[in-house]
Amino acid sequence: MKRVDCLKAIAEETGDALAICTVGGAAAEWNAIRPGDGNFRCRTLGLVSSIATGLALALPNRRIVAIDGDGALLMNACGLPTLARQSPANLIYLLFDNGIYEASGLRSTATKAGADLIAMAKGAGVKNACWASSVEDFMEELKSSVTRKAFSMIAAKTERGIEYLKSWRRLPSFQHGEVENGFRFMRYIEKTEEIRVVPLPGPRN
Amino acid sequence: MAPEDGPKIILESMKEAGINFVTSLPDFNLAKLIELVDGDPEIKHVALCREEEGIGLCTGAYMGGKTTAIIMQNGGFLNSCNGLTTTALNFNIPMLLMIYYAGDIGDEGFSTLGSVTEPVLSGLGIRYYVLRKMDEIKNTIKGATLLATDSRRPVAVLLTKNVLGTRR
Repeated sequence: MKRVDCLKAIAEETGDALAICTVGGAAAEWNAIRPGDGNFRCRTLGLVSSIATGLALALPNRRIVAIDGDGALLMNACGLPTLARQSPANLIYLLFDNGIYEASGLRSTATKAGADLIAMAKGAGVKNACWASSVEDFMEELKSSVTRKAFSMIAAKTERGIEYLKSWRRLPSFQHGEVENGFRFMRYIEKTEEIRVVPLPGPRN
Repeated sequence: MAPEDGPKIILESMKEAGINFVTSLPDFNLAKLIELVDGDPEIKHVALCREEEGIGLCTGAYMGGKTTAIIMQNGGFLNSCNGLTTTALNFNIPMLLMIYYAGDIGDEGFSTLGSVTEPVLSGLGIRYYVLRKMDEIKNTIKGATLLATDSRRPVAVLLTKNVLGTRR
C-alpha cells in the first residue's frame, strides 16, 4: 500500500479540513496532493497528535485531520491515553506505519519488531481504532469516520525504502518556509473561522 | 492574604489575564491549584500524561483562538524542552508556563533539579519571573500573560511553596 494513495483518499473525503502533518515524506506528499494554507507542518517529532487535539478542542465545529507516522507516534506514545480521554469528535487521526524513520536515516522503528500501534491505541482507551488492509479499505474506514462524528483513528501499513524516499524528494517543494507556514495557517483559520488568533498590536508607550 | 489562599488567587489572576485553556500534570504542591482549574467551568482543562504533550495541546488551542497555560513541575518543564523549542519558540506561539519550582531555597530534596531550572529557561531564551510573595501574584501572572501574547513566545512564572500555601 502506498501512503500517497491513502493521502489522495483523505483529500477527497475530508475536503477543507484543517490538516496537521508530521515531518518528512508525508508532509511533502500531502502538500503535493492538497496544497494550501490549511496545512500545518509540525516540526517536533510526536506532537502532531497533541497539536491536532488542542486545535480540535478549540474549534469543535471544524473538521481536523492529523497525519502522523509510526516513529512520531512512538515518540509521544503517552499522548494516546490523552487522545482517548479527550476523544474530540471532530478529529480524525490517520497513521502511516512504514516501519522506518523515513526522513531521518531509514533505521527501523519498533513497529518493525512487532509493536502494534492500533493495539496500543485500543489499550489506551481509543474506541474507534483500526488497521486498514488496502487503499479501498482505508477509504471505507475514512468514510465511516466522517459520518460517525466520533473520534476515529485509522492506520495503514505502507511502503518504505530508499527508492520511495527518492521519489518524495522529487515532489514540488513547499511554497513557504516553516515559520511562514505557521503564520499563514493561523491567518487561514482566522479568515475561515472569523476569529482572531494573533492579536492586533496593542497601544505603544 | 494567607498563603493557603494562594491557589485561589492564582486561578483568579489567570482568568483575569484571559486564560481559558489549561493543560496540567500534578505535583503535590500543585494539587490544589489543578483541582480549582479542573472545577472551573470557564476553563477547558486537559490532564496530561507527559508535559511535552501539553506544549502541543496549548499550541493547537492557541491556533484555534484560545489563551493558554500549562501547569507543571520543573522536572516536567525539562521534559518539554524539545516541544518548547521546535514548536512554541519556532512558530511564535505564546503560552504561560506555570512551573512549580522544586528544589527552591528552603526546600529539602530536588536540589539538582532546582539548580538547573533557571539556567535552562535562560538557555532557551524564555523570560521567567519567580513568585515568592502573595501580593505579587496578580500583577506577575497578568503581566507574564500579556508579555507572552505581545512577544509571541512562552513566558514562565516559577511558583514557590510561599504562594502555593505548602511551605511548612
